[in-house]
Amino acid sequence: MEKYTLIITEKPDAAQRIAEALDHKGKPERHEDRRVPYFKVDRDKPVVVVPALGHLYTIVQEHGKRSDYPVFNFKWAPRHQAEKKAKHTEAWIQVISKLAEGADKFIDACDYDIEGALIGYTILKHACGNKDQTATRMKYSTLTKEELEKSYTQQMPSLDFAMIEAGKTRHEIDWLYGINLSRALTTAAKRASGRYTTLSTGRVQGPTLKFLVTREHSINTFVPTPYWSIAAQIEIRGTNYPVDYQKRTLETKAAADTVVEACSGKTGVIKNIEQKTTQIPPPVPFDLGSLQSEAYSLFGYTPRRTGQIAEQLYLEALISYPRTSSQKLPAAINHKTILNGLNNEATYRTLTSELLQKESLKPREGLKEDPAHPAIHPTGNRPTRMLEEAERRIRDLIIRRFLAAFGDPATKQSIKATINVNGHVFYLRGRQILKEGWIKFYKPYLRSEEVLLPPVKEGETVKLAKISRVDRFTTPPPRYNPGSLLQRMEQEGIGTKATRADTIETLYKRRYIAEERMTVTDLGLDVTKVLHKHASSVISVKLTRDLEEKMEQIRENMEKRENVLAEAIERLKPVLAEMKQQEKTIGEALSEAIKKAQMQERIVGTCPTCHTGKLMIIFSRTTKKRFIGCTNYFQKTCKTSFPLPQRGTVKPIGRSCRACGWPLLFVHMAGRHAWNLCFNPACPKKEERRKRVAMQCLQPPGSNTTAEQLL
Amino acid sequence: MQCSVCSRQVRTQPLSSYCELHQKAYESLQKKFQIWKKASNIEWKNYLQDVARNPLTGIWAREVAENILSEEH
Repeated sequence: MEKYTLIITEKPDAAQRIAEALDHKGKPERHEDRRVPYFKVDRDKPVVVVPALGHLYTIVQEHGKRSDYPVFNFKWAPRHQAEKKAKHTEAWIQVISKLAEGADKFIDACDYDIEGALIGYTILKHACGNKDQTATRMKYSTLTKEELEKSYTQQMPSLDFAMIEAGKTRHEIDWLYGINLSRALTTAAKRASGRYTTLSTGRVQGPTLKFLVTREHSINTFVPTPYWSIAAQIEIRGTNYPVDYQKRTLETKAAADTVVEACSGKTGVIKNIEQKTTQIPPPVPFDLGSLQSEAYSLFGYTPRRTGQIAEQLYLEALISYPRTSSQKLPAAINHKTILNGLNNEATYRTLTSELLQKESLKPREGLKEDPAHPAIHPTGNRPTRMLEEAERRIRDLIIRRFLAAFGDPATKQSIKATINVNGHVFYLRGRQILKEGWIKFYKPYLRSEEVLLPPVKEGETVKLAKISRVDRFTTPPPRYNPGSLLQRMEQEGIGTKATRADTIETLYKRRYIAEERMTVTDLGLDVTKVLHKHASSVISVKLTRDLEEKMEQIRENMEKRENVLAEAIERLKPVLAEMKQQEKTIGEALSEAIKKAQMQERIVGTCPTCHTGKLMIIFSRTTKKRFIGCTNYFQKTCKTSFPLPQRGTVKPIGRSCRACGWPLLFVHMAGRHAWNLCFNPACPKKEERRKRVAMQCLQPPGSNTTAEQLL
Repeated sequence: MQCSVCSRQVRTQPLSSYCELHQKAYESLQKKFQIWKKASNIEWKNYLQDVARNPLTGIWAREVAENILSEEH
């Protein structure tokens, strides 16, 4: 067979898109080898496009035991050799290696960012026999046919080695921090409690948990203090309007009572009217962080979910590459073509045609830049399938934000009338949008209320219709939610746009935090306390930020990977030595919280019989069986119990059965699909299933008897 | 020695009858009492009762307030 060009992509969807874009007829041949898809593209020279499945290589310990620490020896190895759950990636490496044998040219077409650069590099180096030195690079920000064709014909002559070095450093440093500190915590805990529990921390995870712990301390030690305010309304031509007292807060009850007494039933005079017109510029286009925060505040989607939805929209060529930190929309993306594309959709036609009539299209841009990609924007393509609700919402949000960036500034008018009532000053405030500008494009996602005032003039007398004292208390700082925590991480410069959402998920997985409005568990508090005491430098935001800056310098060819790694190891060594020495103390400090967390993991919910006890997963020492029992059994007041599957993992998932409202359990047995189990014997869904099974058993093959006839 | 409120170890330097977390809450209670006193001329015991009843009070501060009240009782 004629030698071909081998293109390597990051994911199967991207491989298909690229193959379709490069094939003369847009219909590449799809092949499969051990369930690994690849595409043969018909072009002047044959091309084969093969996808990876994200990272196929990872870092492993070179020698020594799995529980040893400190460990500073490592190497890059196939993921399937290091992770049990990655066995399937072995076939991918074998198929890529086999395809590489027939290729004479290699192109890395993985996403153009640190992760993509590393995925492509490791495959070219290890699976394709050191082809990293001769391979070329396709760079694109959208998976549209035009851009892919352009990126193929105008390939970069080599891989971006500075970006690869930065990626390698990030993975290696994170591995060094993560593996050593997590092993130190896990070993200490096992030594004290005798049981194995996975505890982890890391370069980004540690400082992130510390933000939450600091907030938890402020909330839990919060003591509200009393203060008073004045609520008042004035009457203008038969209608009441709220007014603000000159001081928003009064420190004593007596001061508030004095104001109420002095103004009650009195009339006031409008002394002054201030009118201000302000221009509100359009919002800047989305980078990943701002999209995730906005989607959380509008729809309640976690940053991770938004990231996944955006990734899917990108793979379907509906939006540009989402893992960007840019807030710029350069002219090169061709604003007009995108608007013309959106103009084909009835939902946006009125808005896009207004923009298309403009003499010039100049978007408002933010300050943040990303050398690799522009801000997130629509491609102008129409979906080729019915999008799911969440996907539709995210796409609409991105489109409207893109359109808004081209809108004119909005004009807002605010009015403040100063009213003097018996020596006390009140303010009557109104606000009104005079010119909508960009607001009309982004309207569904704005929460702005207009307050319209009647015409008033200086010297006019108005009656104070109502006045009262309001007793108030100061409130504690709000809890973080996934959106606000992500913003904080971004502000502090820790983690990357691609990893922040996963770090938050890990905190939940490790049981350090719980609930959507994040509460730190006892385990989270104790882990942070231990780290603060024995490894304070590791959870310092400064250290993490310094390392991020160093990695950025590697990317810009201003720093060497070896130096940064050596520095990180030197910083870790004394910390790990101290932790090893204090292993017993650390273990004791953690064991109580671990026990509590393990106990919590067995609690299923409130007992439906006695309503006071908790249902718990119990292992009987006598029968050696597990079941669900009520905690009031030990007080001999409730004997409620339910059977459980005896094999596999069973744990509560914190959700209720839709049919009966009882708590659900997650069951997983080796070799079977996991499922959610409702243990209510009288659950209507179970009854339904019983009837269905009965019907199937009674019905002879080919019979036309209906279920109703049988039951 | 165990904290008067929870099962954690008490703070040793300086010595306290509370763990580090509840000690922090105790200090917050003491600090805020001055503001309450100025605002409503309230006594320490009534202050603790009000704080313990207030839903905005943090859990550790409430536990300490209740602990002091039960000990005084």
